[in-house]
Amino acid sequence: MNDLSEFFGRRLPAAQAVPELEDGQIAVQRIGQRYQCQRCQQWLAATDRLANGAWYCRQCLQMGRLTSQTKLYTISEPNRFSLPPGKILTWQGQLSAEQQRAATLVKTAVQQGHNQLLWAVTGAGKTEIVYPAMAWALAQRWRVAWVSPRVDVCLELAPRLQQAFRGVSQCLLYGDQSTPYTYSQLTTCTIHQLLRFEHAFDWLVVDEVDAFPLATSPMLQRAISRAEKKTGCHLFLTATPGEQLQRQIRRGQLTTTYLPLRYHGFLLPRIDLRLAWRWRMQLTKQRLPAKLIRQLRDYGCTQQRFLLFVPHVRDLPEIMQALNQAGIQGGASVHAGDPERAAKVQAMRDQQLPFLVTTTILERGVTFPNIAVVILGGDDPVFSTAALVQIAGRAGRSARYPRGEVTCYVQSQTQAVRRAQRMIDRLNRQGKQQGGRWPQ
Amino acid sequence: MICVWCQQQFQPIIDLKALLTWRPLPAPALCATCTTRLTPITGPSCPTCGRRQATTSICYDCERWQAEPLKNHAVFQYDAGMKAYMQQYKFQGDYALRLALQAPLRQALRRQAYDVLVPIPIDQQTWLTRGFNQVTGWLSGQPFQQALTVKHAHKEQPQSAKTREQRLVTPQPFALVPQAADLLRGQRVLLLDDVYTTGRTLRHAAQQIYFGGAKAVTSLTLAR
Repeated sequence: MNDLSEFFGRRLPAAQAVPELEDGQIAVQRIGQRYQCQRCQQWLAATDRLANGAWYCRQCLQMGRLTSQTKLYTISEPNRFSLPPGKILTWQGQLSAEQQRAATLVKTAVQQGHNQLLWAVTGAGKTEIVYPAMAWALAQRWRVAWVSPRVDVCLELAPRLQQAFRGVSQCLLYGDQSTPYTYSQLTTCTIHQLLRFEHAFDWLVVDEVDAFPLATSPMLQRAISRAEKKTGCHLFLTATPGEQLQRQIRRGQLTTTYLPLRYHGFLLPRIDLRLAWRWRMQLTKQRLPAKLIRQLRDYGCTQQRFLLFVPHVRDLPEIMQALNQAGIQGGASVHAGDPERAAKVQAMRDQQLPFLVTTTILERGVTFPNIAVVILGGDDPVFSTAALVQIAGRAGRSARYPRGEVTCYVQSQTQAVRRAQRMIDRLNRQGKQQGGRWPQ
Repeated sequence: MICVWCQQQFQPIIDLKALLTWRPLPAPALCATCTTRLTPITGPSCPTCGRRQATTSICYDCERWQAEPLKNHAVFQYDAGMKAYMQQYKFQGDYALRLALQAPLRQALRRQAYDVLVPIPIDQQTWLTRGFNQVTGWLSGQPFQQALTVKHAHKEQPQSAKTREQRLVTPQPFALVPQAADLLRGQRVLLLDDVYTTGRTLRHAAQQIYFGGAKAVTSLTLAR
């Protein structure tokens, strides 16, 4: 019976024959003239065929190949969970008045089974705001998932949830993990992992809903609605909702809770824009703008740790070398394909590194206390308005160091940069009305 | 065009030479970035196994094979990039990736002198689970003869999961197909395999081909 729990609310190929399972469904099915993968719901190309004539799906190949000869098995979610004896929420912290107000709204909406959006500024303490609603949901023996498009977000969140709901069975799922799957009430996972679930969750919390790749991938958006039970609902969390979500808010299709103020009550740091004329030309000579070097040296002298955001992976080695030549040493560079990515971010968290040079992968979901943020080449198209607001939101997050410096070096102003500044100003205006103040 | 490996859009570079040859324009399967992930073997290499090295003398591995000589050529180095490719193509079973190496293999085959091309076969079990022979997948219309079969339907442990010592004591896994003698008698045979690691598999195959009456046997592997 134990093995079968792997199939609860999921849709998987069976490694070996399991007699208790009913006849499975063929994984790649012909529908009309085309073939469709039953895991990721994508259509196959006419060339996605093996030498033995079987069709196979290339879109979700990374999760194990599905062909027209494999079968998928499922057992509908039984919600077989035992509740811990004491209190479910073992989190000791206190919510601020503003957070409390938002938390109550979120909880009410869940109790009514509404789909909702929590629009809270970066560093508002979104995670904690969801705790009361989460505790209520878990007490109903609901199966709950906390998902995010970003693996860094999941990795940071899982231990926090573990602490906050100590008695609840939990598991963390992501691409290259080594621990096996266990059937548990609270699942923290990347959105890709949802492809393996079907009608499993009573409540889905989607963190950073506007982040890449979810925002641009219909496959992942469909995975969310498929992983949710037919009677289930979801909560989207974001600091920077995209166009589509904002439209839904305007039309009143989504119950929305706003939180324009950070949990410590201070306003968001503004983006300080500085011109760096033709910095790319300088970089080819292994030099960085003098202003930037001076600023980073100052940070070095005052032991201020910082994040330097750059537009592309290919810029990283050059910039690292230029920094090295300017005598700014000891840091590391990190990008999405970096094999030591998790270790480096962890080292930064443990205060073992003075700085990280990074691409936009660290734009959201990571918290380093007392960090300065520098963006080089903020006018590059990879820095969208949402990305810039998120990056600026890395600074001044902790209550002890609410004063964060955000500096953005650009060759010329762009619409995205100005929009980001305007968005921060607008949120700050709303925050001021609720009693927000500038840190001293 | 879309790169078969990274699935990104890319614009193939068309130079003047390609235009002036008046042939159909080249349609590369890989984008420029993915092409650089694979390292072709150029310059000095071991004359018997084709391994990339600083000199053109026989390498240490081949010295140990003096009793069973076999001349091998290899197209690419077996490095991190090739390993990633093999992982996705062979072990995850992404058959579309065969397109990536069809063109380099076509060029390499053109440089070889042979009469009959014999790809290394896969066993029945692998055929059922993988659904394709990884070696014949790289062939794009070149004639070949499946003169060998695998004796056992199922391999307990794949060659790639063994240590060098375990590989070297592997018993003969291949047999000749019944009509092999007609195909092979007096012919120059070229064996084709994916990776040359210790050379054990290819030498087993070569031995069988010689039994079939071949005049000469050489081999070509995609990676070394």
